[in-house]
Amino acid sequence: MTSRTDPLYEVSHAVARMKAGVLAIIFAVICGGGLFLATVWLLIKGGPRVGEHLNLLSHFFIGYSVSWGGSVVGLFWGALAGAVIGWTLGLIYNSVAGLRTR
Amino acid sequence: MSKQVVIIGAGPAGLTGAYELNKLGLRSTVLEADDVVGGISRTVNYRGYRFDIGGHRFFSKVPLINELWREILGEDFLDRPRMSRIFYNGKFFDYPLKAANALKNLGPIESMLVGLSYARAKVFPSRDEENFEQWVSNRFGHRLYSIFFKTYTEKVWGIPCTEISADWAAQRIKNLSLTEAVRNALFGSGKSRDGQVITTLIDSFHYPRFGPGQMWERCEKLVNESGNQCVRGVQADRIRHRNGRVEYVVGRSTNGEQIEFAGDHFISSMPIRELIHAFDPPPPDEVLRAADGLRYRDYLTVVLIVNREQMFPDNWIYIHSPEVMMGRIQNYKSWSPDMVPDPRKSSLGLEYFLWDKDDQWTWSDDRLIELGIQECERIKIIGRSEVEDGTVVRMRKAYPIYDQHYQENLAVVRRWLDTIVNIQCVGRNGQHRYNNQDHSMLTAVFAARNIVGERHDVWSVNVEKEYHEEAKVATPAAGERLVPARIIRPEPAAPVPSPDELIEAAFARLDPIALGTAVGTLTGLGLFMATAILLLQHGPRVGENLSLLSHYLLGYKASSWSGAFIGLVEAGIGGFILGYVIAWLHNIGLGRYVSMIRRRAVREEEKEILEKV
Repeated sequence: MTSRTDPLYEVSHAVARMKAGVLAIIFAVICGGGLFLATVWLLIKGGPRVGEHLNLLSHFFIGYSVSWGGSVVGLFWGALAGAVIGWTLGLIYNSVAGLRTR
Repeated sequence: MSKQVVIIGAGPAGLTGAYELNKLGLRSTVLEADDVVGGISRTVNYRGYRFDIGGHRFFSKVPLINELWREILGEDFLDRPRMSRIFYNGKFFDYPLKAANALKNLGPIESMLVGLSYARAKVFPSRDEENFEQWVSNRFGHRLYSIFFKTYTEKVWGIPCTEISADWAAQRIKNLSLTEAVRNALFGSGKSRDGQVITTLIDSFHYPRFGPGQMWERCEKLVNESGNQCVRGVQADRIRHRNGRVEYVVGRSTNGEQIEFAGDHFISSMPIRELIHAFDPPPPDEVLRAADGLRYRDYLTVVLIVNREQMFPDNWIYIHSPEVMMGRIQNYKSWSPDMVPDPRKSSLGLEYFLWDKDDQWTWSDDRLIELGIQECERIKIIGRSEVEDGTVVRMRKAYPIYDQHYQENLAVVRRWLDTIVNIQCVGRNGQHRYNNQDHSMLTAVFAARNIVGERHDVWSVNVEKEYHEEAKVATPAAGERLVPARIIRPEPAAPVPSPDELIEAAFARLDPIALGTAVGTLTGLGLFMATAILLLQHGPRVGENLSLLSHYLLGYKASSWSGAFIGLVEAGIGGFILGYVIAWLHNIGLGRYVSMIRRRAVREEEKEILEKV
């Protein structure tokens, strides 16, 4: 129960639900786009050891490297991983929230 | 056999009840004590000059009621501009108050004093907010209260503002719901919950061409034509009941003849105090005492016919000047030009709020007309020579009084009435509630539908939540049921959420536990899987970089399976905390934002406090 003094008093008493699909798209865009831009940024900046640390992602993302081709592969993997994370986040949140408000 | 319903009172509630019952296929008999219908919404006709008792704007947030009005009156329903001002110290002030106009009229010195008083109220508000004076002063400053609130409120209610409960004022400024506040902020108060534009109080309202009585005379005609009966001049004298059921009403006609009206169901819009006293056998003493504790404010109008084509553009003027007794002046021609038969003339209604025990109540009409003329001259609205004629209309029990004890008294009465299963109370005086016309009508619609088996709480109308529940039901689609329409086979489509549902969803809180669990699961499993992939790849220096997380995760190593499990647990816990905090901060931020929206909406409401008085 919330009382008037509770800062949450004003908020709607409904519990928000997440749209897992939408969350998947958002995370996919952020993660895929983010990895793509991070890779491209390092390539444009150049330097002696380009993307030494970012390259480590190749352990998880097959075919990824800090190169122009790798940036496109990173875009794909990042988007895929983001989509899975977003979708799972929404799914777990909704399941738990649903159980708690039942 | 069809059920027979007896309705007491042919005001807006009683006649709406009969009208609705007819639609539902039930017969009814309406008993009206007066020789006119409409109750306080009647229109009095004096030598062709029509006047309204108190001024009734036809404005409702309930689409169903708007539909009913249109259905009953059709083309004679005018759209009229709304204007009302405050008259004080010889000047007209815009209402609701506007800063520039108020400053100009008050003059620089008074304005400065008002400003200082307002600042004082904001910095040092009255800690005890027990009465109306303190409540208004805390919001507008004591000086503005004295000018714009004190005199008028005391004229209307006949009680010093220091004796009116602050709760009463707070109730006038209703506790806006989240959705209302947001809706007002997004669309302005002129939008209904279904997004439709409602004619706002600020701009215009609807009004029958020949006054509100036209609506109720038309309604009576429709009721009679459909085989029901509306009987004028019959006072409900006794209500005979047995075994928790009313059996019949004993009516007394103007010539003293007694007639019995039997029925299966009864709807009463007569003042609840009189209703209780009419029961035969009488209720217990405690109930009678409680009923006697319910009080009403009486009201009289002195109508002056003035030999002037145009008076002022206002529908009415609030008279705050303390030197006169009148509370408001109605300008009937501004309500509808057809209220006046001769376009070269105007008619004014000077409103006096009284107790029927006051001396003035028993004054002769001539003496009251003389008082009206003198007061008009005193405030320089009209000259004596312009007054061509006048008349007086007295209306007892115009306003139910919300005093300190009314709630407990009403509760006692209602508890006893609940034991009588086939009578329902509707309308303003029927429920002793300060209902507007639309609220009264809605109570009657509910009562009628209850008779055919629906379940509505008639007492919930005008108590915000439930009243809005009805508004939600009464979407335009519900209103359209009255119009013959072509059969359309609708495309299967997802239900469209209402704006309120969208607002509720947009301001829904995040569940911190659920978000914590989701984020915790993802971070824990994510780290576990990352570690596991590295372990399975068997590189020369397994997880050298990932192991840096051991700075934060105690005991974590990317080079061992045990480390993977430790990472699972610790990253899971960390993720849970992160998710929980994000949800909590989101909810707090949302709460602050909604609070700000609500405060803004309440401030807007407070500007109209006079209207609510």
